[in-house]
Amino acid sequence: MSNQIAILLAVLLFPGGVFALAFGLAMKGVDRRVAARLQSRVGPPLLQPFFDIIKLGFKRTMVPAAANETVFLYTPLVGVVAMLVAAALVPITSVYAPDAAIGNLLVLLYLLMIPGIVLMIAGSASGSPYGAIGFSREMALMIAYEGPLVLIAAAVAIRTGMGMGGWATFSLNDIVAYQQAHGSFLFDPVMWPAVAAFCFFYPANVGIVPFDIPEAETEVLEGPLLEYSGPVLALFKIMSALKKVVVLGLGIALFFPAAPAGIVGGFLVWLVKMAVMMLVGITAVRLSMGRMRIDQAFVFFLKWPLLLAVASLAVVVVV
Amino acid sequence: MSTHNVPETFSIPVGPLHVALEEPMYFKIDVQGETVSHIDINAGHAHRGIEYLTTKRSMYQNVVLTERICSLCSNSHPQTFAMAAEKIAGIEVPERGIYLRTVADEMKRVTSHLFNVALLVHLVGYETYFMHMMQVREIGQDMLESIFGNRQDIGAMCIGGVRYDLDDKSIAYIKGALDKIETETKDIIKTFKTNGSILRRTKGVGVLTHADAITCGVVGPVARASGVDYDVRREAPYAAYDRLPLVVHSLTDGDVWSRAMVRLEEILTSIDLLRVCLRDLPGGPVNINDRPDIPPGQAVTRSEAPRGEVIYYLRTNDTPQPERVKWRVPTFMNWDSLRFMLQDAKVADIAMIVNSIDPCLSCTER
Repeated sequence: MSNQIAILLAVLLFPGGVFALAFGLAMKGVDRRVAARLQSRVGPPLLQPFFDIIKLGFKRTMVPAAANETVFLYTPLVGVVAMLVAAALVPITSVYAPDAAIGNLLVLLYLLMIPGIVLMIAGSASGSPYGAIGFSREMALMIAYEGPLVLIAAAVAIRTGMGMGGWATFSLNDIVAYQQAHGSFLFDPVMWPAVAAFCFFYPANVGIVPFDIPEAETEVLEGPLLEYSGPVLALFKIMSALKKVVVLGLGIALFFPAAPAGIVGGFLVWLVKMAVMMLVGITAVRLSMGRMRIDQAFVFFLKWPLLLAVASLAVVVVV
Repeated sequence: MSTHNVPETFSIPVGPLHVALEEPMYFKIDVQGETVSHIDINAGHAHRGIEYLTTKRSMYQNVVLTERICSLCSNSHPQTFAMAAEKIAGIEVPERGIYLRTVADEMKRVTSHLFNVALLVHLVGYETYFMHMMQVREIGQDMLESIFGNRQDIGAMCIGGVRYDLDDKSIAYIKGALDKIETETKDIIKTFKTNGSILRRTKGVGVLTHADAITCGVVGPVARASGVDYDVRREAPYAAYDRLPLVVHSLTDGDVWSRAMVRLEEILTSIDLLRVCLRDLPGGPVNINDRPDIPPGQAVTRSEAPRGEVIYYLRTNDTPQPERVKWRVPTFMNWDSLRFMLQDAKVADIAMIVNSIDPCLSCTER
């Protein structure tokens, strides 16, 4: 019984739920402010993402006549729930270890696909042609980046499993524990191709320039989100904030979980890593380039990230 | 499985309101996947009846009215109108006025071109560089505001000359601002030639071949980017252009990148022209300091607006009001070429291609 309560608390309070949401929105606020300063603008208040959510909460949700109302209204809820559970799966070294029953890398990979699928379904349920274009773009992009992601996960699992004397382990706790004992994968030359492939994967997954193609504002008017308003739009914003925490947290858990023992130290180190990944990996990336076209992005993913991911798997198995 | 059937071809409305379009225009586009298969171009949402209004106002009031036809070409319209009136009345503009007209014209050209190319970068999704380019343009806008007191409708023109004068202090200030813009523009040109983000979205996109350009009769940077070496400032010099070292830039690729590049190169040329104008600025009055009646008659004049050739037809009678004013703006000529550029384009490139002709609908639909 205490097991279930612990999982529930992890999903609803920490590291999922309230904490992940607040942290995700705060990261977004910092991101927007830093981006504005780098572009010589003043930028919004740090709490603007919170204000946005609250304001949207008080607004009315318009359902277009062409939309399938049930699907249109309830799909984003699925995405938010999936991300809440996913946030409870990501370990934080010395602070939080997910319950062995749920802390599985494969489960996390499945959960990470859900926001993309939610966007696709929402886009087509809205009945808008821009939503339909967003649907096809999101699908193409997912096909392009999911392959490398699975290979990266396999490389990490096999490296850990073989190091521990078995074949492959998908337990996130084991992956973190192994790296705590033997050094982070980030400093392991054998894992560098996987690290590089992951660096291509996450901008596409969190949907930032150059891979924000399905929601490109100047091309398809935010695609799937075009017809959304009010609290339901707020759900999408919550989903994307949670997703950022999950994806960055996953990157840390997979490649650089090293942290001192003790809750305070471990948590501070995790915060610093998240902040660095956010500023260098998200803010700097999205500011320093333009958007790709979907065909270019597709070809790009079939080239470098896939090649790197395959190479990483091969290297891990052979070495 | 799913009850939602996605047909192979479906049509998407681009406009009349669209974040990427500055003005109301409407394209009904049939797409197959991401590729445009058919396009229906529609305009006419911004009709204001200005041609009719001109016949209700006196010749001198119309200088003010024509300035309000368009904000980015807001100098070319009153200038061409004033040229037509001067032609009918046989008014000789004083030498200093002629040079100052050129100065105002080229200043507006610099800011207009920078604005258009900045928008292109915005549509590429490269927000940081967009902000940077708008800041460069802001140097020019500050210059306009300092000299003319206004950022867009500078109110420089009048029949018989110009309404402003430059002293040594303002000339020195303009020269300083031009130096800054020139350095930055050279930098922007370098970025356009090397930056992968910009190159991969603009090279080979929205191609208008030389033959199609001739068929459509396109003008301005759109024509010059397709290898049509035509510039009114050289073909039929007005103001002081026959005395200036004008370089006409033309490229042959006819894609979005070439059109942006022609504009960027023209900014540098404009800066050179401005420097020569300011150096050679003759003394004397800036206008004829009189408001003679315009006798009955008719005239056609043309000039090179930032977007291309603008033509004015003016017919006057015994009344203070003109009997008919008719203008043909560059966007009217460039509009139809969109049909060729958008053929088989990607959905992602539509906004970029439309922006690349630098459409100005408030002139076209007046």
